[in-house]
Amino acid sequence: MTIAQKGRWLVIVGLVLLGGVYVRALAFTPVERFQGPAQKIFYVHVPSAVTTELAVILLGLAGVFYLFLKDPRLDRFAESSAEVGTVFAGIVLTTGPIWGKPIWGTWWTWDARLTSTLFLFFLLMGYQVLRGAITDDGLRARYSAVLGSCAVVLVGFIHLSVYLFPTLHPQPIVLKPSKPSLPPEMLLTLLLSFGVFLLLFTGFVMQRYAIATRRAEAFHG
Amino acid sequence: MRELWRQAWTIAHKDLTLEFRSRTAIVSALVFTALVLTVFNFGRDPTAVSTLDLAPSILWVTFTFAAMLALNRAFQLELENQALEGLLISPLDRRSLYWGKLLANLAFVVVVEAVGLPLFVLFFNVAVGHVLLPLLAVIALATVGFVAVGTLFSAMVVRTRFAELLLPVVLFPFLLLPLTYAVQATARLLAGRPLSEVAGWLRLLAAYDIVFVAVASWLFPYTVEE
Amino acid sequence: MDSGVPQNAGYLIAAYILVPTILIAYAVSLYRRSRRP
Repeated sequence: MTIAQKGRWLVIVGLVLLGGVYVRALAFTPVERFQGPAQKIFYVHVPSAVTTELAVILLGLAGVFYLFLKDPRLDRFAESSAEVGTVFAGIVLTTGPIWGKPIWGTWWTWDARLTSTLFLFFLLMGYQVLRGAITDDGLRARYSAVLGSCAVVLVGFIHLSVYLFPTLHPQPIVLKPSKPSLPPEMLLTLLLSFGVFLLLFTGFVMQRYAIATRRAEAFHG
Repeated sequence: MRELWRQAWTIAHKDLTLEFRSRTAIVSALVFTALVLTVFNFGRDPTAVSTLDLAPSILWVTFTFAAMLALNRAFQLELENQALEGLLISPLDRRSLYWGKLLANLAFVVVVEAVGLPLFVLFFNVAVGHVLLPLLAVIALATVGFVAVGTLFSAMVVRTRFAELLLPVVLFPFLLLPLTYAVQATARLLAGRPLSEVAGWLRLLAAYDIVFVAVASWLFPYTVEE
Repeated sequence: MDSGVPQNAGYLIAAYILVPTILIAYAVSLYRRSRRP
């Protein structure tokens, strides 16, 4: 099986398992007392946010390695991670308001998760816009690697700054998937959902990577 | 090491000489800053919101835009007459090119801020005298943060189409962090909070500067290598 | 279910439909792009 085909299978399996998560979330996980059924949006919202951050970190690390190794496959992987990350960011930024409206009464809140995902979304957008503006493969790979490296350092800095400067007011740009002490049934549903989203991410990146490889081969013959 | 600084200083000196000889860029930036401050004045209802509440935001949005303007022209000089190639062929260390550009950009932005701050005080009647030194520290640290990453990115976008549009899109996420810290620190300073409350934000700004100046100077050669 | 719990299942359904829609739309997009020569 080619990478693309494997990727497609992973996505199909992932979608089926997502259905399984839905069943578990709707029928076998308790309703939250104060937030009501809408709280269950949490089970797709939080894993998507974590996946978005994972996508940014991966493209950044791929960039750092590219600067040392100059392997174009790293660049194609980074490109794929960026695009897929954007899709998951879209999920976070749409499910967030849908959750926020019934719970907080407003469509948008500058809470930690939405703010940081919006921030990651801008990083991803900037990254892809930069790529789109450069036609030469080598230059694009190199510049993307530079930008990606800066992005991953920035994400790391934000996380570290929370630990090193805890006395300051919670900064709005903090990505910390808040896991309050969840009852075990809820925690399990959440963890299962994490697994499913990771599967979907992997499947999508594989397919996108295959497209990038084909494009590169077609271009260079 | 000393050679690095000497080269960096030469580059900075060259840039600044060119800038101030023609004066177009600096004058435009200064006028732009004054305009932005004026826009803020007309963009608010003084009876509804107290100036002190808005002041940190006004100051920092103005400075952010001023920094963007400064950075946009950072590598324009080299585009003309293939001056960049000339620089690269010369026996200059690539890293000194970054430091030289950084110094030149800093000098440019500092000049703009040196005019912008008194204008801000004047237009919005904000008392800064009693907190001037810490405020200058905040401004200095945040500016280094803006310019460190901005110098790196402007080297990249200058080779693309739509450079002036691309630079803000790529750079703004990186400016958001020092901007947040600067606004928090400035707000506390202007509100008369004790310095101990401001110190944490200053430390964050300093940490950001150290990390990103190091990262940017390490990455810079990759943006100009052939 | 006691009466104190908010009745906001509509939002839940909206979100739960939106997510697979986005995912499937992207999957289809990837599939079609891989078919292009």
